[in-house]
Amino acid sequence: MASVGQNVPVADAQERVTGQAHYVLNLELPGLLTGRILRSPHPHARVVRVDVSRAARLPGVLAVLSRADLENQTAICPRYGRVYRDQTIVAIDRVRFVGEPVAAVAAVDDDVAAEALDLIEVEYEPLPAVFDPEEAIRPGAPLLHDPRPEATPAFAALMGVEPEASNVCNHFKLRHGDVEQGFAASDYVYEDTFRAPAVQHVTLEPHVAVAAYESDRLTIWTSTQMPHPIRAQMADLFNLPQTRVRVIVQTLGGGFGAKGSLRVEPITSLLAWKARRPVKIVLRRDEEFVTVTRHAATIHLKTGVMRDGRLMARQITAYYNTGAYADVGPVVARNGGSAMSGPYRIPHVWIDSYAIWTNVVPAGAFRGFGVPQGVWAYESQMDMIAERLGLDPVQFRRQNLLHEGDHFATGERMRDVHGEALLDHVASALQWQPSDARWLSGGVAAPAADRGPSTRRGKGLAVVLKATITPSTSTASARLNDDGSLNVITSSVEMGQGAKTVLAQLAADAADVPYERVLVSEPDTDVTPYDQQTSSSRTTYSMGSAVVLAVQDVRRQLLALAAEMLEAAVDDLVTRDGRVAVRGAPERSLAYGDVIRRALRGNLVGHGHFVTKGGLDPETGQGIGSVHWHQAAAGCEVEVDTETGRIRVDRFCTAVFAGRAVHPRLCELQTEGSTFFGLGQALFEEMIYDDGQLTNANLADYMIPSFRDAPRELEVGILEHTGEGEVHGIGESSLPPVLPAIANAVYNAVGVRITDLPVTPEKVLRGLLAQRPPQ
Amino acid sequence: MKQIVELKVNGLAQEVAVQPHHTLLDVLRNEFKLFGTREGCGIGMCGACTVLVDGKPISSCLALAALAAGQEIVTIEGLAERGELHPIQQAFIDFNAFQCSYCTPGFILATKALLEEQPNPSGADVRAYLAGNLCRCGSYVKIEEAVLEAARRLQGAPAGTSDEST
Repeated sequence: MASVGQNVPVADAQERVTGQAHYVLNLELPGLLTGRILRSPHPHARVVRVDVSRAARLPGVLAVLSRADLENQTAICPRYGRVYRDQTIVAIDRVRFVGEPVAAVAAVDDDVAAEALDLIEVEYEPLPAVFDPEEAIRPGAPLLHDPRPEATPAFAALMGVEPEASNVCNHFKLRHGDVEQGFAASDYVYEDTFRAPAVQHVTLEPHVAVAAYESDRLTIWTSTQMPHPIRAQMADLFNLPQTRVRVIVQTLGGGFGAKGSLRVEPITSLLAWKARRPVKIVLRRDEEFVTVTRHAATIHLKTGVMRDGRLMARQITAYYNTGAYADVGPVVARNGGSAMSGPYRIPHVWIDSYAIWTNVVPAGAFRGFGVPQGVWAYESQMDMIAERLGLDPVQFRRQNLLHEGDHFATGERMRDVHGEALLDHVASALQWQPSDARWLSGGVAAPAADRGPSTRRGKGLAVVLKATITPSTSTASARLNDDGSLNVITSSVEMGQGAKTVLAQLAADAADVPYERVLVSEPDTDVTPYDQQTSSSRTTYSMGSAVVLAVQDVRRQLLALAAEMLEAAVDDLVTRDGRVAVRGAPERSLAYGDVIRRALRGNLVGHGHFVTKGGLDPETGQGIGSVHWHQAAAGCEVEVDTETGRIRVDRFCTAVFAGRAVHPRLCELQTEGSTFFGLGQALFEEMIYDDGQLTNANLADYMIPSFRDAPRELEVGILEHTGEGEVHGIGESSLPPVLPAIANAVYNAVGVRITDLPVTPEKVLRGLLAQRPPQ
Repeated sequence: MKQIVELKVNGLAQEVAVQPHHTLLDVLRNEFKLFGTREGCGIGMCGACTVLVDGKPISSCLALAALAAGQEIVTIEGLAERGELHPIQQAFIDFNAFQCSYCTPGFILATKALLEEQPNPSGADVRAYLAGNLCRCGSYVKIEEAVLEAARRLQGAPAGTSDEST
């Protein structure tokens, strides 16, 4: 029986409910030391003096790492960075954000390590700092990187040309049609500004790595979404061939983008190299907050529209605050920027999307990769424009949605477009009526029946389209054993999304073996083949395709061998339930294992590689933005207390296009998870800085959604192809529309439009007070 | 200055040397090697380090190990008997009530305490009782289903399936 489409038991379930799941956190090795990191208290300062001598003399300290280890030597390359080599393993001449690593120690236990940190003396000379991206690009603003750091070759082609030293880390441009002509032809042109703050991933498992350096080989067990890129970058840092660096990943306690770039691996590895003993570093929660964040963004939208609601032109200026170091910020700005015209037909589009260096915690990949900030802006503005034109916001969207064969702002012809079906699903689940728009109802929302006279109800919705990283590469191997069981060997990372389960399902069906007889490996760069990354909602599609190709390679070999044994042509053979048979003659059949044994092959090994092509020109934004576009819609009904501003999300419905749901229940689970992720960002998540100092780096002051925040009803719609079609990843698509759907619902409830996230009771209450006539 | 403390964990008493400032979480992981108990926030906000002490769920990151002497401590490793999953664990599997599962032991132990206090909880009871356990993957809908089903099974009802419940 086909396994794809079935809710098969998930991989490793027993381990997960008994506490036995293998996080790196649990790894112990003989002689293992504990590492800890000393961090900068200044947002921007020159490092005058670092004295580690007292720490090094403390009994129980085996290694101390400081800039002295990076200067005047050639063994270790001190600089790294996926796009720009702008970051050093520990600070050398300057610190650029509060929390930047300045020194580190490895000691016999955590208590000794903590004591050693206290003995390190660092003298700083504070420098002027800049925190806001628009201030950072004004003339005279303090420069974070001067001269401009070296770009890595891998990303050079993605970058706009920025020869001068400035805080502009990347400037992505999209030019489509003639935007000035579009505005001139429009009946109305509306300009609005939207803001989204930095938020943190808060994976419950923190960043953790264990490194060991033996016999000129570096082995790193780490909680990462990108084992092969980590290997390549660590090999660069240590001037080693990639064969001498081994990256092993077991399972992750959540990733959400946080665990992609180099994080604790360089410091952990360098300590292990110095101490000649294995070292483990586990970040504390407060350190997590100063390791990587989502980009804060300021987005200016200028949209031209006809009286009847046709979108004509849109100009966007987006500033992504990438913090002190580039990480993948330039790519985030490109990805977020390039999709910011939304799932709509707009003939004239002009986009400038910037990643800007400032003196805050570096921002990197975060579930949605720049898109949630953009969707927050354009789907809020869609409702604002609908009101200005007196239109039903659902009909206004429907009339502008992209359809099959339309051209997107990137110039690519769209296929597999489902915005209308997704919007209709959500509108219907909400029982949306035009009068649910506040401006079409006479401006009075219904009180919530059972919540007292001060509560108002309102509905809102939003639609999104999002790229998956393109081009992209996945490779896989499959090994059919002589008992008919199948090993699938990949570098995809299981982080709770169900990668091992769905890859096993796809392999089982391609091989015609039962799901229970397939085992998917965990990444180990010594043995598992290259995969670009476990992110961008790409694993089911991209790695799934590579796995199927690897299995088909095995199957070809199997059939060739069986054809000889069964004295039949390959074309006349069929496979079913682990047997090869001659078509129409089931008695002439062999079990897979019998074929392998008779052929003295031991096992059959197949390989598959799956490469997507595309990419955008950095100067025009034209090209192929995505091999296919991920799409979703979300809608909700909220209750707002007009006396306190408190917002309660009563009903939530979300619809996502999956192409083909490999494991429907996991699709539903992950989509529910995206919704909760979005609820937090919509309603309360925000990293709050005071003069560069983060003030809420703990889970008491930075809240994440709990059971208390759950909507009373949460309905998930998974849309699939009616016939054959590609699998679409769904790990991120349904998150971005949550943010504007809630803000639009709040507006329809009480008439308060919030343009800067999160939508807090305080902001709503201020808006309500402003509505009241002066006394 | 380390002191010797006898801790009774999952029914077995064992003497361990602990510093006065070491938490129960530190000692369960570092001395007992019970890795199902995990730190999430370190300040008692997330529930990932939940253990049962004399049947009550507590955040082991906030409990001093030395003060736990003489109490019955149960961790996730103490729940399955001879490889047989506890009905709550089985319900969490059957209802896909986890993604990364880092928080799962805490949720399961808190659920055990809930169902001992309230064998027939409503959905609202479940949400209120488990509000101190955070799941960043957002598996809450499925967790609630699993807890309600575990309650049914512990009351002797035949096992339902996830399909019936949705």
